[in-house]
This record gives sequence, structure tokens and C-alpha cells, in this order.
Amino acid sequence: MLLKTFPRGGSDIPQRKEATKNKAIAVCPAPKRAVISVNQHIGTPCEPVVDVGDSVKIGQKIGESAAYISAPIHASVSGEVVGIEDYTVLDGTKARCIVIENDGLEQLYAGESSDYTKMSPQQIVLVIKDAGIVGMGGAGFPTHVKLSPAKPVDTVIINGAECEPYLTCDHRLMVQQPAAIIDGLKAMMKALGAKRGIIGIENNKPDAVKIMKNMADISADISVVPLKVKYPQGAEKQLIKAVLEREVPSGCLPAEVGCIVSNVHTAVSVTEAINQGIGLYQRVLTVSGSLIHDPRNVLVRIGTPIKQVIDFCGGMIKPPPVVIAGGPMTGKPIVDLSAPVVKCLSGILVLREDEIDFERNDPCIRCARCVDSCPIGLQPNFLADLCEKGLIETAEDYHIMDCIECGLCSFICPAYRGLCNSIKKGKTALKMKKSVG
Amino acid sequence: MEGKQILHGPVIRTADTTKRIMWDVVLALIPAWIAGVIFFGVQAVWIVILSTFTAVITEALILRYPFTLKTIFGDGSSVVTGLLLGLILPSTVPWWIPIIGSVFAIILGKLIYGGLGNNIFNPALVGRAILALGFTSHMVKYAAPFDAVTQATPLMVMRKFDWSLIWGNVGGCIGETSVIAILLGGLYLFYRGHIGWRIPLGCLVTAFATAWLWGLDPWMAVTAGGLLFAAVFMATDMVTSPVTPMGRLLFGCGCGFLTIFLRRFTAFPEGVTFAVLIMNAVVPLLDRLTVPVIFGASKSREQRFRTTAAVVVIIIIAGCVLAVINKNVPEHKMTAAEGVYLPLAETLGSEDYQLATIEDKVYYYVGDYEAPEKVGFIGSEQGYHGPIYFYLVVDGSGSILHLQILSHSDDPGLGSLVTRDTFLDQFIGLNYENDLTLGADVMGVTGATISSRAVISGINTELQRFITAFYGDNEKEEPIKWIDGVYAGQANSFGGIMQVEVTIGDGRIADVKILEHQDTVGISDEAILLIPERIVTANNPDVDAVAQATVSSKGIIAAVKDALSKAAVSDLESDAVSGKGAQ
Repeated sequence: MLLKTFPRGGSDIPQRKEATKNKAIAVCPAPKRAVISVNQHIGTPCEPVVDVGDSVKIGQKIGESAAYISAPIHASVSGEVVGIEDYTVLDGTKARCIVIENDGLEQLYAGESSDYTKMSPQQIVLVIKDAGIVGMGGAGFPTHVKLSPAKPVDTVIINGAECEPYLTCDHRLMVQQPAAIIDGLKAMMKALGAKRGIIGIENNKPDAVKIMKNMADISADISVVPLKVKYPQGAEKQLIKAVLEREVPSGCLPAEVGCIVSNVHTAVSVTEAINQGIGLYQRVLTVSGSLIHDPRNVLVRIGTPIKQVIDFCGGMIKPPPVVIAGGPMTGKPIVDLSAPVVKCLSGILVLREDEIDFERNDPCIRCARCVDSCPIGLQPNFLADLCEKGLIETAEDYHIMDCIECGLCSFICPAYRGLCNSIKKGKTALKMKKSVG
Repeated sequence: MEGKQILHGPVIRTADTTKRIMWDVVLALIPAWIAGVIFFGVQAVWIVILSTFTAVITEALILRYPFTLKTIFGDGSSVVTGLLLGLILPSTVPWWIPIIGSVFAIILGKLIYGGLGNNIFNPALVGRAILALGFTSHMVKYAAPFDAVTQATPLMVMRKFDWSLIWGNVGGCIGETSVIAILLGGLYLFYRGHIGWRIPLGCLVTAFATAWLWGLDPWMAVTAGGLLFAAVFMATDMVTSPVTPMGRLLFGCGCGFLTIFLRRFTAFPEGVTFAVLIMNAVVPLLDRLTVPVIFGASKSREQRFRTTAAVVVIIIIAGCVLAVINKNVPEHKMTAAEGVYLPLAETLGSEDYQLATIEDKVYYYVGDYEAPEKVGFIGSEQGYHGPIYFYLVVDGSGSILHLQILSHSDDPGLGSLVTRDTFLDQFIGLNYENDLTLGADVMGVTGATISSRAVISGINTELQRFITAFYGDNEKEEPIKWIDGVYAGQANSFGGIMQVEVTIGDGRIADVKILEHQDTVGISDEAILLIPERIVTANNPDVDAVAQATVSSKGIIAAVKDALSKAAVSDLESDAVSGKGAQ
């Protein structure tokens, strides 16, 4: 059978999912102190709505913003707010965090449990907004914004591609909580008035495909599409192209072509939010890499220090060259292991020195692999060169802003050039320039 | 905490590093090399090793201080350049040719632009182009496989499709002849993802189509000569080919078209070197013209139109050029050297000709081998700059029926004048009784004296070979002119009396010794050395004088003639002796 995929670019990359793909999700104990950043999403950071000394319960809202593109934050442990202070977060910068001392009582906030079938679309969106649900695949875009598109949406796509190497948390969720995914999908369909729901899964997860298919068969309007294993299959636009044959125009959102894409984990969180009536306070992430004693998928409270999660997985075999937040392709190095887990953290990777290749920036031999593999059809070698020379306006003419930052150009470059990084820098510079003038 | 920020972006990377790619290319070139060694002998080993070694050393000396075994090879690209250059040299070149070629290839082809990745032109082809222009005569001496006799490449001797072209046991450059070996390497590179299909296929298909349009043998055009090797290993050089998919396709097509174009309309029998170099120069333009339409581009229609329009315009221009040129070139001017088959059927008057290989020379004949009606063959002689190849058809008695120049390297407007019909037509009807001489039998062409002389001399040699080949037994019955014995002779030479001793054995001149002479030492040396040898070889005292020692040469010749006059037999004796010899 010819599996569906996106037609342009892409490449096979190592999967390396064996270590964790068959391991059931383990529950990481709640931290003694939860450190919850006010900025875990794309959009305006939250303002704390609690003060130091306040007592909070699990799932209670502790910060929110009046801005539309934002998502509230919630306590992940029950206890006392002991500080609202700047804290080192994943990327090494300081961010305002609300620190909660765990009282160990594990009291849940008394939310209003409900059922999406009995809710109006507006109510569903409101619950999702209040629960602070964001794109949990890594992007962190507030889900309620996605669910209020400017154009009519006929299809909701659940992204179960999980094309990043090592990561298996979405895989495990599909195997262990298929009903929650279907419910979440249906809730989002209802919120949007969409007639169709599609779950796209890369075919390297046959068990997930099978289980999801069995679940989907119950509903006539939901289908499962197995996808060819090709990076970046899980990129939003590429996924839409693969399952719907629709091409999102340059510079537009998926709603332009009548669909939205949501991550598997997001769907699960939507279901949990609706059923429990409390905010998003935990997530599943994959802890893997050859320097982890016991790689596994773990359910972690938001705000747990990275170090505690790693220790829960048996700790590190030896000091690693780097710890990575997310997958090895798009992930970022974690500078300080005391940084807390955030909503959109899908994995923690601890890799050996010899598994990591640093940028070397050997001369470009014009092999054109970056051009051939770019899923957007950009010329990364050329764009990176323009960015390095500061010619960002020219780079804009060559569609630099269309780059999805999948990192494939850097991965595939035989000269180990930091193409993606140069392009990211160029994009940042261009955005700065635009916002200034 | 600080300083670790450099690690953004993917932290895992492909195992296919630049180095790995380079060594893969080296691996892919090995079959072609082995084929070259099988067909052309140990010479092919040394030439390729010399070129590779020189390339590595040249680059290392300039770039890789301090030298260790690891640094000296660098990224491996100098090995590739040296290997490629070695494989596109004929196996007959002297030892210094690969060295000069590699030095130029590395310095002028690559380093001068800023090293790997910055060069515009394929370094190995730069080396070959410089050698082809500077040392033409060495570069077109193609060895026939299994021995060191120079032979015309199949492009010069096109006839029918031949399996030997596939195996590669034909004349040509070391690595270029074996289709099987080249494809083996190419498939490996394709499997490893180092080359795509666009450039090689674009190149070969276009060459095939162009050759076919021009009435050439298309299979021959793609399998003979260096086209296949270049399509697989040269045009696909990553650095000097476009990065866009459409650009690569157009690049390949351009290489294919230009190769056939150059083969047909220039003096170079092998056009592929310059075809690829010209296309290398067009790469930035191609990259610009063929910027890919991005995913979800709103302007996609306009862009797609632009690309399509560019392709269509290029095809139309190419087509027009083809048509115009095709119209203006008379049919009969097509020569084998330019990639055309020999007009065997036309000149031999029959499709039903046969092939005889006599002493490594191929004769196409019609009729009985013992008494052929017409015989066609290719000959060559050193012209002013390089060999002149010609095609000769004679009747059974050796009278010239047809003569055409297949290829030459002489200057346009000077040496090239010998290709004119006014010159060539003079030969028709001439018979091989005595050597043809310039001025008496044939008038030379003003401005092309050396080339004219070369053609005449070549024809003499070839006619003689033909007679020996077909009537060799009869020739031995020619009257014996001299009685065996040792004869002394003398004549006036430059410095005084020249005394020689001529030994006649079996009725032939067996030995010529200079006994005494007073000619200037240094100037006359060459004549003293060469003339006796020439006389013995020719079995005839009338041999060409040695330049710069004309008087001495003539002195020797006169002295030998003097000696021979003493050895000459009377007519009666001659009959008796020859009768005896015939038994």
C-alpha cells in the first residue's frame, strides 16, 4: 500500500524510538516545589492572580492575561505560594515564575465536571481557554485561538505523526488513552462545527494505528490515516498536505484551507479539562537517550525541575555534553537542569558525545541536499549565506519567513553547516526590523 | 551556563559527511580504473597514481600544514580531482603530463577560487582542458587496448554498434572506455544518494536525441568517447553544478547537447570537456532562473510560468541553432572525428563489406580478400599540431578512389586547408607505384605546406601498408636489385668525404655503417644516427633528410647510393636471382 505523505522534500532520519516505545507511561512523583513559568505559550505572558502566602490546589488558576493570544497557568501541586520571582527556564533565560511549596496533600481544585456532548461550541472553547491548553507538540500555541478561526473549518486533524527521533509520548498516549484522544477530537470538531476528524499517524507505530483505527471505527466522521515515515511529517502544513491534499498558502494559517491541526496530547488534555473541569497541570513526556539509565515515558507535573524527572528515570550514566529539551531535530539545549517542565515540553534527551554532532561549518560543496530535502522548497544554503552576510531583505524575497525551522537542512548537510540556525537568526532579525520600523 | 548557546538546532546529523562523499566517489571510480588497467596495462596504473599523488601533494603543500597522514588528504577532494584527471588521460601520455595536469587542476581549477566549494569549474576538467590545449599531440594518442599502438578512438572509427564499447576494450582514455565499469560506479553513487538522475540522464538523453537529429549514430554517441564518464562523474560534480532540481536537469541537457555540438563542429574529437566547462560557467544563471516554487506560494502560477518560459526559450533557441547549422553544413562534410560514422557503404559502393584486421589495422573491403574490389581504411600522420586522420578508399590495384580528412588539430585557415576538395581531389586516380611526392604528383596548399606534406606522407605509408597487407606475398617477388655482400661507398658531404659501408643480405639493405666523416660534431649527429636506420627500414636510400642536418643527410644518402651502385645486379642476373628467390 502506498502510504500518504507530503510530496516535496523531506528525508529519512534515524528513529531511535526503541528504548521507550513499548514502555507504559510512568507517573513521576510531584515535586517538592513546583516552579510555574508565566510564559509557557506563544502570546502574552500571564500575570499572577495569586500572592505569596496564598494556598492553592492542583489545577487552580494562578495566572492569566487579558490578551486574546495567551493561556492561563495553573497550580500543579497543592500547597502554598512561596514566591513570585525570576527563575532560570529551559532556554537559559530568566522568566517570572510562581513557586509553590508542595504540602503533599494532593488536593484537586473542585472543578465542574462536564461532557462535551452536552456543551455548546462556545462553552467548549471557553473551558479549553480556562484550562490553559496550548499546542503540546512543542509549539505552545493557545488552543482556544485555534478553535476560533476566521474562516470555516471542515476538518480537524490530530497530529500523531511524532516524526522527531526518540520521542514516544504521543505514541504511548495513542496506545494507552485512545478514547481520550477521540473525545478530545470530537470536542474540537464540535467547537468548530467541523464535519470530519482525521488522525494522521506515521506508520512506524503500527500498534497505535491499529488501536486508533479500532476506536475511530465507532464514529463515522473520524478516520485514521497511516503516513509514510518521513521527516518532517508532523509539521503542520506538511501533515495537511499529506492527509488532505490541501496546500496552506504561504504566510497563512491552516484555517485558510478549512482545517486545523492539533497534537495528540492536546486532544487528551482537552478531554481531561472538560471531564475534570480543572486546568492543565501535568503532561506526558519522553525521557530518553543513551546516557539515561532507565529511558521511559513519564507523566510529569508542570513545574517539576528537569533534574527531578531525569532522576526519576534512573539518572544519568555520566555527565552529558548536553541535555536537550524536545526532540533532537527541533529541540533546544537545556542550560540549567533546575529549570522547570513546561506545557509544551515533549521530551528530555541526554545523548552521548558521539551521538551529537556539533556545527562545523565546513565549506558548502553545493551538494543541494538542503534544497532537495527542504519541505518548503527553499534554498537553505543560499538563505543561510544571505543571513550570515546580513542581507535579510534579499532573504525575505527568497521566502525566508516560510521556513518552518524543521532543522532538516542542518541535519542533512554533509559539511555540518548550521544552516537552520543562520536562517532562524535571520528570521529573528527580520521580525525585529519589522517591529521597529 | 554561557557559551553553550551554540548548540541550537538539530543536534544529530547525517553520517554522510563531505569526507564520506569524497571517498565514496573514489570508490565509485575504482571499477573504471580497473577496467583501464585491464585494457591498457600497467601504464594506466602509473598515470592515475601520478595524477592522484600530485593532486594530493599540491593541495597539501598549499593548504594542509602541518602535514600528517590525516591532514594531508584533507576532505578527500584532492584525491577525487587527481583520480578523475588520471582517468581522463590516454594511457600513452608521458609521465609528466598527469603531473602538470594535476598541478593546474588543483591550483587553477580549485584553490585559486578559494578552495573546495568555491570553484566555478570542475578542477579535473580544467586540468584536462589545459593539457588538451597545451599538449594536444599527447592528449589524442589513444592506445588500443592490450598493446601500446596508438589507435583512433571509436569516435574516429564509427561503424556499427559494437559490444566491445560496452566492455571498454576500445581505444580511448584510461577510465572512459568501459560502459559497464562507469555504470557500476554511477549506480553506487546513485544508491548512496550522491548523484541524482537529472544530470546524468538529462545529459545522455539530450546527447542521444541531438545525435539522432543530426543523423549520427545515437548509441555510439553516448557509449563511445568520454560522454558517459563525464555524465556520471564530471557533470555531477556537486560544487560545479546547479543546486535547484530544474537547474540540474537543464545543466545535464546542456552538457549533452554541447558535447555533440562540439564533436560535430570543432576539431576536437572529444567535446565533452569543453561542454561541461561551458555549462559550469552557466550554473549561477541556471540557479537564478530556476528558483523552486515554494510550498504554498501564492505567486506560484507566475513563477511556474517563468520557469517554464525559460525552459521553452532555451529549447527553442537550441532547436533553431540545430536547424540552422544542420542546413548550412553539407552532408558529405560529416566526418568520423566529429562523431559521424565512416561513409563506408557509400564509398565502398555496397552495404556488403567485410572487415579484415591485418597487423592491428582494420580494412573494410568489398569483394574477395585475395582480390578485393575496393578497400577502405583509416590512416594518420603527424600534422603541424597533432595527428591528421584520413579515410582512404582504393581499388584492388591501389588506385585512390576516395580521400577525406577525418580530423586534424591544425590551425583553422592554415593547416585546415588540406580538408578542401581542391587539394583532396588531386589524389583521386593516383596509384601506388612510387611514393607520391609533393609538387610532382600533388600540389600542396599554400599556408598548409606541412599539413599537405603530412597527408601525402601518410598516404604513402598507408598505401604501402595496404599493398603489404593484401599482396604481401607478391611483393616479395619483386626483382632483387642487389647482390648480397658488403659494399663501400663515398660522397661529398658538409665537411668533406663521407665514407659508408653497406651490407646487403637476402637482397635487402641489411646494414649501413658510417666509416668516416668530417661533418660538424653536434650538428650532423642526428643524421649520422638516424639516416642509416631509415635507409635500412625503407630498404631504399631515398629517405627524408634530418632537419638541421640536411647536408649531412644528403651526404650519407649519396654515399649509400654509391655503394648500392656497386651492388646492383644486371637485368639478366636479376631474373635469375629472383627466380631462385621465388622457389
